[in-house]
Amino acid sequence: MAKVQDTIKRMASLQGIMMILVAAIMLAATSVIQSYYARRGLLMEAERRAQRELTITQLRIENVTRPVETAVMNTAWMVQMNLNNPDTLQTLLRNVLDTNPVLAGAAVGFIPDYYPEKGYWFEPVVTRRGNEYEDMVLGSTTHDYFKLDWYEYPAVTGENYWSEPYFDESAARTTVVSFASPVKDQEGNLVGVISADLTLEWLADLLRDLQLYPDTYSKLESAGGQMIVSPPAERVDNGTVNYSMPIESTGWNMSVVIPRSEIFRTVNRLSMMLGFLQLMGLILLGMIAFKSVKDQSKLESVRSKKDKMDNELRIARGIQMSMVPKQFPPFPERKDVDLSATIVPAREVGGDLYDFFIRNDKLYFCIGDVSGKGVPAALVMAVTRSLFRTVSAHEKSPQRIVSSINESMAEMNDSNMFVTFFCGVLNLYSGHLHFCNAGHNAPILLSESVERLKVLPNLPLGVMPEMQYVEEDCYLPAGSSIFLYTDGITEAENASREQFGERRTIETLDPALGVKENQERILAGIEDFVGTAERSDDLTMLIIQYLGADKSSETRRNLVLRNDIQQIPLLAEFILAIAEERHLGKSLAMNLNLALEEAVTNVMLYAYPKDTEGEIDIEAVLKENSIVFNVSDSGKPFNPTEAPEVDTTKSLEDRQIGGLGIHLVRKIMDDVRYARKNGRNILTMIKNI
Amino acid sequence: MEAKITDNKAVITVELIGRLDTAAAQELSEKLLPLQEKADRTIVLDCSQLNYISSSGLRIFLALRKAAAVKGGKVVVKSINDDIRTVFMMTGFLNLFEIEA
Repeated sequence: MAKVQDTIKRMASLQGIMMILVAAIMLAATSVIQSYYARRGLLMEAERRAQRELTITQLRIENVTRPVETAVMNTAWMVQMNLNNPDTLQTLLRNVLDTNPVLAGAAVGFIPDYYPEKGYWFEPVVTRRGNEYEDMVLGSTTHDYFKLDWYEYPAVTGENYWSEPYFDESAARTTVVSFASPVKDQEGNLVGVISADLTLEWLADLLRDLQLYPDTYSKLESAGGQMIVSPPAERVDNGTVNYSMPIESTGWNMSVVIPRSEIFRTVNRLSMMLGFLQLMGLILLGMIAFKSVKDQSKLESVRSKKDKMDNELRIARGIQMSMVPKQFPPFPERKDVDLSATIVPAREVGGDLYDFFIRNDKLYFCIGDVSGKGVPAALVMAVTRSLFRTVSAHEKSPQRIVSSINESMAEMNDSNMFVTFFCGVLNLYSGHLHFCNAGHNAPILLSESVERLKVLPNLPLGVMPEMQYVEEDCYLPAGSSIFLYTDGITEAENASREQFGERRTIETLDPALGVKENQERILAGIEDFVGTAERSDDLTMLIIQYLGADKSSETRRNLVLRNDIQQIPLLAEFILAIAEERHLGKSLAMNLNLALEEAVTNVMLYAYPKDTEGEIDIEAVLKENSIVFNVSDSGKPFNPTEAPEVDTTKSLEDRQIGGLGIHLVRKIMDDVRYARKNGRNILTMIKNI
Repeated sequence: MEAKITDNKAVITVELIGRLDTAAAQELSEKLLPLQEKADRTIVLDCSQLNYISSSGLRIFLALRKAAAVKGGKVVVKSINDDIRTVFMMTGFLNLFEIEA
């Protein structure tokens, strides 16, 4: 049973775990899918935003670089126009700076010895110093511009050139990129290179505006891979997405770097929140599942406990009910007694009992009530009933039956339970009732009136082993009844806690009615009285109606004796029982005993040779007005009736010693007959009563 | 069945107690056999506590009585109850014995 319960519990908890697991997997799967699509969407969104921002920035950069390029190329043309006037060149350069605030300076480097009077190097320079311009002419062995990129590339290729960033130490003294363009004369020959230096702060400012996400940063690289605008030094590229865009005119490459965590910040937060909610949900689900499993197992255990209790009650009830006779009328063939009994069970099992049986035309009966309830009471009840049957099988006296049961019970009474018990033996021939009470309620006698039978209380069974019980007796007139009951009847309570009581019991019983009718009257009376109140005790009653001796019936009693003179005293008991049963007088009993003894002694002396084994069957047929004794044996043929009549008038001298036996038989009995049947001697003696 | 024999020279008293049935008679017969030799005296059979007697017992009584008759003594049956008196009557023993109340 416990094993099954464990299995159920295990299975139930397994089910709970499975349920949570499935829910968790479903939630995780939806989370993953949802997260995947959310991330993809966010990534696409980030890319779109990056492209847009990059395009805007590109335009903003070109808004600066293109005018620079245009201004430089225009100035190159202006320089061509003024080649003859080298000292005005700085004015031209100043104009370039004026129109392009981002330029830190501008210069024109002429080819070697272009103006012979100016020397090998000639490079007029204008540098912005705050709001002023500083004019310089550079070019020397220490500042050999022919070797610098901005000069060399346009000079060699004849094309415009955006230089790599470099630190301009001679003029601007800051990091710059230069835009350089070849300067030609009107014939198209190269005469020099014009360059303008762009400071880089404005680029940094522009790129700083490229803040798509809080932690986004951007960088700008030159065509040669040098950093024009560097990312913050502390940045570590860990899980980032790069979007880049070239700036075609300058050959630069601009890129924006977005940490993935920034792109997915919302989705991550959402995931976290969702995850948290899901976890809470799962925990809740788990708790519900666990609780339901626990509830279920609790329910199971409560149910099984209740089942067990119900089962025990059923067993107890079964014990109780199987121990009492339930067939009514129990002796349909008998005309001298009628009997009805019942135990109406209450919700709780009590230890009520009744029992009865007839032996040798005597009704042995008892009623009892075990203290306590439930299985223990039912067991004690079963023990009591068994003791009653065992003891009364060989005891005829209620006092000895009660004493014997009491001794047995008191000896083994460890649980201090006791039994109120009433035992009676009713002689169905005479109506003579012997009874012995052991602390039970006095029965009610229904004869001309209905009243309590006068009964000594004594002590209940199982209280005191040495208790001396007192036997009492009375005569039941023909037609009278005796009503035995347990206190469940008189203590039946109605809703206002009044008891049915002995007075109502007595008033309910009707001496004119039979046992069945009186039983039903009592049950109906209690039912009416109790109403809806719950019955707490069994209703147990036993009603016996003595209808008077059945004169038409005949009863047989048998005794078997061995061929042994010492068996003779058994005859006395046999006759005594019959005499008691039939209420025969003491003298008649003695005479019958004497006649029977003489008959049996004759068999022992004459039918069975000395020391042979044999049996003598004695049968007494009790009829209304007579008793017929049949004494039979399987010895050699012997007919005592053939013996000559003893003359009792003879004088002492003439009197024979023998022959007295059969003489006494003849004297006592009304008829004596002998027959030899089936190899047996049968002596039939009839005594009219 | 119990039998108490008191011998005080003139009178021998036998006190019979209980039931004198066939089984008891065997024993009693042996016990009272010596009395047949003393039957020249008066033998009192005290039956005040005898409550049953069968023919076997009666035979013992009769044997004593016959011995007394031969020896010149006498047998007195004392204090028989009504039931035993009936048996004595049925067997004619009332005429054979001296019955004392």
